[in-house]
Amino acid sequence: MRINVGFIGLGIMGRPMALNLLKAGHKLRVYARRVESMQPLIDAGAIACTSPADASHGSDVIITMVSDTPDVEQVVLGTQGVIAGAAKGSVVVDMSTISPVTAREIAETLAANGVEMLDAPVSGGDIGAIHGTLSIMVGGKPEVFARVKPLFEVMGKNIVHIGSNGAGQVAKGCNQILAGVTIEAIAEAMTLARKNGADAYQVREALLGGFANSKVLEIHGKRMLDRDFKPGFKARLHRKDLRIVMDTAAKMNISLQQAGLVAQHLNALVGRGLGEEDSSAIVKVIERASGMEGAQ
Amino acid sequence: MKVGFIGLGSMGAPMALNLMQGGHQLFVWSRREETTRPLVNAGATRCASPKEVGAQAEAIVLVVTTGHDVEQVVLGDEGVASGAKPGTVIIDCGTIPPDTTRRICKELRARGMQMLDSPVSGGETGAQAGTLSIMVGGDASTFDRMQPIYRCLGKTILHMGESGSGQVAKACNQLTLVVMIQGIAEAMVFARANGVDFKPIWEALMKGFAGSRMLEVFGARMMNREFVAGLPAALHHKDIHIVLDNAQSTKTSLPAGALAAQAFNALMAQEGTRWDSAAILKVVEEMSGISSRDRT
Repeated sequence: MRINVGFIGLGIMGRPMALNLLKAGHKLRVYARRVESMQPLIDAGAIACTSPADASHGSDVIITMVSDTPDVEQVVLGTQGVIAGAAKGSVVVDMSTISPVTAREIAETLAANGVEMLDAPVSGGDIGAIHGTLSIMVGGKPEVFARVKPLFEVMGKNIVHIGSNGAGQVAKGCNQILAGVTIEAIAEAMTLARKNGADAYQVREALLGGFANSKVLEIHGKRMLDRDFKPGFKARLHRKDLRIVMDTAAKMNISLQQAGLVAQHLNALVGRGLGEEDSSAIVKVIERASGMEGAQ
Repeated sequence: MKVGFIGLGSMGAPMALNLMQGGHQLFVWSRREETTRPLVNAGATRCASPKEVGAQAEAIVLVVTTGHDVEQVVLGDEGVASGAKPGTVIIDCGTIPPDTTRRICKELRARGMQMLDSPVSGGETGAQAGTLSIMVGGDASTFDRMQPIYRCLGKTILHMGESGSGQVAKACNQLTLVVMIQGIAEAMVFARANGVDFKPIWEALMKGFAGSRMLEVFGARMMNREFVAGLPAALHHKDIHIVLDNAQSTKTSLPAGALAAQAFNALMAQEGTRWDSAAILKVVEEMSGISSRDRT
């Protein structure tokens, strides 16, 4: 079934996602702030638009994939925003990672205008976007989720409906807490091993066999020991996602000690100019604090 | 082999039985005499003191709780070393500070004996099934010679390096676990404070980068509020403080470990010995004023 899709935000993630939708036979109206980022889509058959409102005209589903919370607010609710062009009964699907609180607010505003909304943040990075293997965590009404599911299935593999509006963003927040805290745990464990003069590769090997095993130990643990910090997932993006978690925690009075600590360490890492490295480079912050800088 | 065994608690007793089933001749001692009875019934010889165990056996396995206990049993009056001949090997399966291990080992070597620090992970289930993970530090040729003993006790048996490095590996394991436990608890509190059911989040996260054995087991315990079964929090509490003592002496900065230790302190203050480590969730909940009697 061909769906008329509006697609807004054609960056490193949005572009391959939109291309996959085109390849699957859907009709796309696209908009991006920089005209040149629309070109590959136009070449593939998409219609270029002059504003988010324009991209929303006649679209059944409008997907937004932009950087941060204010961008989504601007693109959806601003002048010439999606809300100005979207027909009653259409669905806005925000696939950016933003504040769950804002996601709920935007959903309410759209609902008052007869427009549905799903928050559907992804994980899996640009590689997942290119191969259509993203994990997609979705918040919103189940019947709306069912309508959009054929599109999700083009872009991703592990697609889970979590709950009502905002729940997808909450799931993404949980994911970033756990990934961040586990990276921190392993960075500290590897530093403890090395500071004691133990063979950290052997230690990692022993830990992989037991309860401490995880994908992060396997992959990020190895990156730390090999000193291979090319991303992966960039530290500055992980920092942004944890800032959203901590903002939410502050707004709702939730005490998240470990997540707060990791957010600080990501600040330190980005502050050192290492934001483009993989977030496993957190180990450098721990090492510096232990006087091990330049070691290895 | 003639094997001595000291410490017949919930871990030690099944380990000793596995050694007997493996055909070794056992010489046992325990502070509480009644705990030797099942072993004596199975054919073990009861000794009057650790000294006598030392005099009878070629290798002596220790499963006692603290570094102080190990020092006492090995080097104290009536200790193993006072009765043992040169060439005797002590296999310490307890989790104790790496420094204490190194000191005892040095003292024993001066008397012509060896000690292998051999902390285990895998809990009572692993002890019963003979499937423990064993991380060994100490003389490599002695490690090779003790294989007939290790093979009765565990499955993953790794030599980590010189004396103390088995304890360092175990410390890395425990550090990783306790930090991850708090990470899981925070993710769950974040979801709950946002009014989102954790179950579908848990399912989504298990398939991604945040997935781990810990999330599987402890995530489930926390969701089901099973806080009394499984691994006693008191052991994690003891072990994370061993880690932090080592961090103090090696001047290693472990901020997440220190934070998790505080959460475990708080748990210990609430009838601590009852709880499984999954009960860290209660500490994290209480910090945000979420009543633990609520439904999750």
